[in-house]
Amino acid sequence: MPSAQEIKQRIEAAIPGSHAEVEDYTGGGDHFRAIVTADAFAGLSRIQQHRLVYDVFGDEVGGPIHALALKTQAHAPIPTP
Amino acid sequence: MSASELPQIPMLQNEPAAAQAPAQGEPNEIRDAIEAAIREHRVILFMKGSPEAPACGFSARTVAALQDLEVPFAAVDILPDPRIRQELSAISQWPTIPQLFVGGELIGGCDIVMEMYESGELADALS
Repeated sequence: MPSAQEIKQRIEAAIPGSHAEVEDYTGGGDHFRAIVTADAFAGLSRIQQHRLVYDVFGDEVGGPIHALALKTQAHAPIPTP
Repeated sequence: MSASELPQIPMLQNEPAAAQAPAQGEPNEIRDAIEAAIREHRVILFMKGSPEAPACGFSARTVAALQDLEVPFAAVDILPDPRIRQELSAISQWPTIPQLFVGGELIGGCDIVMEMYESGELADALS
């Protein structure tokens, strides 16, 4: 059963230059909320940003991690077309 | 307002779950049916439960946002058969439920839909 701290460390280790704030919002070790900021998100759509984070956990999301609510943002502003 | 049209995913009607997982190389009727439903419905939500009785808070919030915008949408309950979710996630490369598709493209799950709803982008995407 992962802790919020473990989720944070795994995200930050897997996505270079990222910063994650993770909360276990039920206290049960299976529902998390994360705000992730990373240079790697620059220029990516929200879908792509969230996929980068989900990819850190693979099948664990939807398995032992029932929910991982995400808010992602790039450090640099995303250029608008 | 409610879902105006309920796509039927074949093999799920009165079939015991996991009774007939397709063998390697055999046609995958569930995957085909999901892909057809995504193609044929401009706005389609895969969720837990129904729009009238959502079975998960994330699904409920997503439905509420769509209903607030008064956009007709098709809805598929993924709970009756675990293969629906497996095949859906294999198609979309997205691990969680709900999943909202517009014009054949994955828009996102609850977080992205709610962010877009609050910013007004969802109304634009659905118009």
